[in-house]
Amino acid sequence: MMEAESKLLRTEKLGLKLGKRWLFRSLDLSVPPGCFVAVTGPSGVGKTSLLRLLAGDLPPDEGFMSFPENKKFGISTIFQDLLLANGASVLTNALSGCLGRHSDLSTLFGFPHSEKEACLVMLEAFGLSNKSRQWASILSRGERQRLAICRTLLAGPTLLLADEPVASLDPEWGNRSLEFIKSTQLEMGGSALCSLHDEAQVQRFADYALRLHPESPEAWVWEKISSEKKQ
Amino acid sequence: MGMGKNLLREKAMKTLVPWHSRFDLMGITFLLFLAGAIGSLPSIEGSGRNLDYLGNLARFAEQFFPPDWSILGQTLDGLMETIQIALVSTFLAIALSFVISLGASRNVSPPWVLWPTRMALNVIRTIPSLLWALLCVVLVGSNSLAGVIALTFYSTGYLAKFFSETFESTDPSAQKALKSLGAGPVQAFQYGLWPNARPIVWSHCLWMLEYNVRSASIIGYVGAGGIGLHLKLYAESANSWNKFSVVLLCILAIVTLLDFTGERIRQSLRDKLEGKQI
Repeated sequence: MMEAESKLLRTEKLGLKLGKRWLFRSLDLSVPPGCFVAVTGPSGVGKTSLLRLLAGDLPPDEGFMSFPENKKFGISTIFQDLLLANGASVLTNALSGCLGRHSDLSTLFGFPHSEKEACLVMLEAFGLSNKSRQWASILSRGERQRLAICRTLLAGPTLLLADEPVASLDPEWGNRSLEFIKSTQLEMGGSALCSLHDEAQVQRFADYALRLHPESPEAWVWEKISSEKKQ
Repeated sequence: MGMGKNLLREKAMKTLVPWHSRFDLMGITFLLFLAGAIGSLPSIEGSGRNLDYLGNLARFAEQFFPPDWSILGQTLDGLMETIQIALVSTFLAIALSFVISLGASRNVSPPWVLWPTRMALNVIRTIPSLLWALLCVVLVGSNSLAGVIALTFYSTGYLAKFFSETFESTDPSAQKALKSLGAGPVQAFQYGLWPNARPIVWSHCLWMLEYNVRSASIIGYVGAGGIGLHLKLYAESANSWNKFSVVLLCILAIVTLLDFTGERIRQSLRDKLEGKQI
């Protein structure tokens, strides 16, 4: 019982269909706190659908999933399509990650000072602080991607779901961002599920890899990434 | 290789659209419009008398020139009042419209608020600005306050519709993203939808201001303040068409100026929102 509660995510015989095709079936996962899980597989294999299922966006076609039942637990997603507010400043976009911690009324005329401070530190780390007053619409794709990461990290989720968060970043920013995501989640005792295409990044950052199979929905593999390979 | 190309070509040609696919909604409505316009031609009749059209036009236009610039000072005063009426009424209309438009937006309000609000806006729009002005002159007398009240109502009918359409057509993805990050409905609107809608909303406001300057120029005709009063005065007195032309030139100048700057601002806002301006 104790062990069950210490997991951030458990799934049992989880399955999801896209039309008539099963994306995956009989998926049994058990994600402990402080753990970085890479979700891999070719495009169209169902990585995004799995993350949306875990976020509660899609209902499962079979099986169950369970999360810890305490108030502090929260799930947030870094969306593949970023979904930023184009006409708002970089700062406002990033800050809107913290809205869940405040009431409608208290953010009606702006954000609390403490949140602004934390946000500026985060923007600085992601190389965006000198653009904090600009509209998100005029950022480059890579900058928008980093902004989306900032916003979701500021939400401070226990379970972070990241849908190809470094797909449009150059290798250096990609690695820095993954490092930041990993250390932030470790620090607060949370975990991250992150879909990745680059095997080198999987080997470098992930503790586990969930490898979905393009042809056989039940042939997914849960693989522990050995720590010797990490730099 | 040649065989493969032929096959490909054959396959590609099959995807050509058949002729009857042109009769979609746009094609059919265009044909109906064309038929209606041509069918209406026989019922449009003139006076039936043999008039010297061009000669009439020339004699009338002659009276406009040369413009009598001696009245420029009082014309500019009237123009100033017109602009003031337009500014105040647009400001009031924006404030009213923002609140009302939330009631008229499908993605914000429930149906029992939505439909009555939309009906009310329809009714407001049905009444032309000149009629609103007449009504207000009857209510508060012949002054610029009548113009402000009239144009406020009139432009609220339009602005609230524009605003609500903007809220409905704005990309809601950021709003959804914020909801999934834990934001409440007001927060998701304020920080997810509103930033994307704001530049478009402001574009509509600028357009309305332009429009109101034009409207405010004519409502003086029925006594609701502004330069329209001068138009009426000169149109009805003898041999004053050369003064009338000064008023027209002044209105033309201000409207052109507003149109030009307004369009520039709107274009630049659109570009910035779409990320075209670095």
